[in-house]
Amino acid sequence: MKTHESTVDQFDAEALKELRPEQQLGKTALVLAAVCVAAWFSNIVNGSPLLDALPGMLILYVMVIIGLVVGRLCPFYLPSVAWVSLISIIATLPIFPGNGWIIGQLAEVNFLAVVTPVLAYAGLALTHREFSMFKQTGWKLVIVALLVFTGTFIGSAVVAHVML
Amino acid sequence: MDLKLLLNWRLHLLVILTSMFSEWIGIIRIPLGPGTLLLLPLLYAFIIGVLFNPHLFSAMGKAIPKPVSHAAGPIILIAILPFIAKFGSTIGPAIEQIIAAGPALILQELGNLGTMLIALPFAVLVLKMGREAIGATYSIAREPNIAIISDRYGLRSPEGIGIMGVYVVGTMFGTLYFALMAGYIASLDILDIRALAMACGVGSGSMVAACSAALAEAVPAAKDELLAFAGASNLLTYATGLYVSLFIALPVTEWMFTRLKGSRQEVRHENS
Repeated sequence: MKTHESTVDQFDAEALKELRPEQQLGKTALVLAAVCVAAWFSNIVNGSPLLDALPGMLILYVMVIIGLVVGRLCPFYLPSVAWVSLISIIATLPIFPGNGWIIGQLAEVNFLAVVTPVLAYAGLALTHREFSMFKQTGWKLVIVALLVFTGTFIGSAVVAHVML
Repeated sequence: MDLKLLLNWRLHLLVILTSMFSEWIGIIRIPLGPGTLLLLPLLYAFIIGVLFNPHLFSAMGKAIPKPVSHAAGPIILIAILPFIAKFGSTIGPAIEQIIAAGPALILQELGNLGTMLIALPFAVLVLKMGREAIGATYSIAREPNIAIISDRYGLRSPEGIGIMGVYVVGTMFGTLYFALMAGYIASLDILDIRALAMACGVGSGSMVAACSAALAEAVPAAKDELLAFAGASNLLTYATGLYVSLFIALPVTEWMFTRLKGSRQEVRHENS
């Protein structure tokens, strides 16, 4: 049983490594299309009807692909999230041509609706190991979380207080 | 991994139905004392996902076989990227406000490093936590921070469990806790109320709203100014927070964790 568990873990680690999004652009492009469809449908309820949101979803898809390609070609390593957010910031800057149209189309895509499917995948992806790990450390995480919130708030307030 | 598993139609269909159902429930606001408990669709989606997880209830293996559940792991990495793109698009249009906001706003971002100064030693030395402590304490565990951890370690690593735990706690109680804490600290009258407003900006949208509303309640005369400061700070958290947590907070947390872990082992060694 134990060996079975560890092979599963190993398999996961390999799968994760293999699927670093920028390393396998072909595969990523297909999976990205599937998750965009999920986000697209999720957006119907509190965002816009399918056709209205289509350009916005396509823009997000293209931004991600451009970010991944840049990350792949770049000589130094930055996580793909940093590249994707950079591409998106640049494309919506006031000086960027057509930024008004891009922002207008993206407005059809609800901010929270895009992240809802991500958490659904996350819930489905948990394994035995994580369930038992969470059972062991769950109450500790609640205490740590409250300390994290207090520390961040007071830290930021003190720095801002000194700067003002 | 096999492309057939990654593109398994049952998995994606279940996620679509789950997401649409969660969105349909919508945001639930539960007033509680001075604040509001805010439940977002992403929380329900996570819970429904867990309920359908074949590793928790083996009966669910009929709908989602275990290999398909494994395939969902790497998909998370990719699924977060469109969200990050959407997120960046709120920053570009506001770039002038961000520049005008000045050095206080930019530097208070560094105050976020206060996160790990208290929480990390406590987690490692008192609670004897392992690498979960890194994910749990390096940031305030909002969506962009999750994206960083998911990219670096994967969401199913100990670091991933740590940040998801803090995320869930933050989602459920963060809004309430921020409102309570901000109101209380404002009533102590030690720090500039505008500084507190900027500090409100570190959280997610609902935390910022509750936090600055609590401050406005404490000092009604300065309401508009306080909300503007909190809003600008929140924008900056999203603009620069990603880079601060990636290039400063995460390496510092890793370094501190190694140190703390080392000292803990030495103590144990001396005792034995």
